[in-house]
Amino acid sequence: MKVAVYWGCLIPTVQYGYEMSVRAVMPQLGLELVELNNVSCCGTPIKSVNMFAALYLAVRNLAIAEKTGLDDLLLPCNGCYLSLSEAKHLLSQDGKLKERINNILKEENLQYEGSIKIWHTINLLHDLAGEERMREVVKHPLNGLKLAVHYGCHILRPSTFQPIDDSENPKKMDELVEWLGAKSIPYPEKLDCCGYMLLLSHPDAALTFTGLKLKAVQDWGADALVVSCPSCQMMFDMRQKSSGATTGAKLNLPVLYYTQLLGLAMDISTERLGLNLNRSPIDELLQKVGLISTATSP
Amino acid sequence: MLIKARAAIPYSMSIIDLTTTKKPDLALRLKLLAKIGEHKPYNCFQCIRCTSGCPSMKMLELKPHEIVSLASLGFIEELIASGTVWACATCLKCKERCPQAVAPVDLIFALRNLAVEKEAKVPESFLRSLSAILETGFVQKPQDTVTRKMEKVNREKLDLPKFHEPDEKFKAAFFKVLELFQE
Ligand code: SF4
Ligand code: SF4
Repeated sequence: MKVAVYWGCLIPTVQYGYEMSVRAVMPQLGLELVELNNVSCCGTPIKSVNMFAALYLAVRNLAIAEKTGLDDLLLPCNGCYLSLSEAKHLLSQDGKLKERINNILKEENLQYEGSIKIWHTINLLHDLAGEERMREVVKHPLNGLKLAVHYGCHILRPSTFQPIDDSENPKKMDELVEWLGAKSIPYPEKLDCCGYMLLLSHPDAALTFTGLKLKAVQDWGADALVVSCPSCQMMFDMRQKSSGATTGAKLNLPVLYYTQLLGLAMDISTERLGLNLNRSPIDELLQKVGLISTATSP
Repeated sequence: MLIKARAAIPYSMSIIDLTTTKKPDLALRLKLLAKIGEHKPYNCFQCIRCTSGCPSMKMLELKPHEIVSLASLGFIEELIASGTVWACATCLKCKERCPQAVAPVDLIFALRNLAVEKEAKVPESFLRSLSAILETGFVQKPQDTVTRKMEKVNREKLDLPKFHEPDEKFKAAFFKVLELFQE
């Protein structure tokens, strides 16, 4: 089955581990990724500056995806998912707005219909690939691992924009983890924000968000934190040291993308999953699942 | 009982000086309302549910219910000048949980846009993303990075396909969009 993919800004310019692991796992599930030409940023980074321009960018990318004629579009980044799902929602409610944007898109020979279905990595794997297929591809069950999942805000809220799961009590990512043989631990801080969006205006507060959540997950005894958003990864994985320093906590928690975890369970090499790019202590996790031999030869 | 206690809290006291402040700006209030679609701040009944779940309240004392109240009354200039709108983490909890469909976070985005239009207090880094998109279509070009063992790598070394920026037509159309918004 062919699925168009839109990577956004952060994944293809710095969060290579997510792109590599998505590219590595999807074909094994029978999902062929189709690249989009001429796309741009999704609009999220400029929403604070100019909401209309941000919306335009989101719609333009959707129009490009629709041009492929495919039914499904994968958005691995939470920020992109929010931006494009909001655009779909707003334009379905407001015909005039749709016309106004389509008038501009005409100059690039584009037209937005609203026909393509959008997916995030988590619901694509959970709903489209499905439990049976997901369980089948597990070659190396992650038995005995206790993991904490972090959904990230922008794929869950608001419930009016077609979020991937229940806004207040999501289960899909927990189930995805359990299908690999690991245990997803319940913890009260599950819906807490990573702080990324505050990084530009209030960096210390942003790092405090990050540090407090990491500390909580660590204290609940999780072996690792599993994420599915490049922004969240840039906080929990890339800024674990500075967030520990800001909050005064000793942090030592492996953080990885769900697709990296899935890749491990599929027995894909750590290099192909980009796991040597994670900053957090991933080797400790690999040791626990008995994969350290591949980990020591990056 | 709880509702009574909360109703006794007066409208915002921390951003405006109730004794000396100038009159609300009703024209600016209308301009703001036009930006936020259905989520009208005047539907707020100050239940404070938004603020009770707001992570930026804990960290930065952001009070979304106050912002809603001030906007609803027309104290827009004061809100923009205070810089408080830049303390929102965009977690969207307030939008999800408001019983009156007010969406304080949408109001915050609209206020940030107004701050940019009126050249008020705007963290510079927010404007940088816009110029980067105008230049390259994205917020940044692919960066070099390092592995945990400090080996330098990039897309090519990682066997990732070449990254493409959008063409010139994109830029021309995007410029037009920004001009349209100025009108
Ligand atoms: S939750 Fe809604 S109604 Fe309640 S105070 Fe906040 S904005 Fe007003
Ligand atoms: S979106 Fe902003 S204002 Fe609303 S609850 Fe989250 S941090 Fe607070």
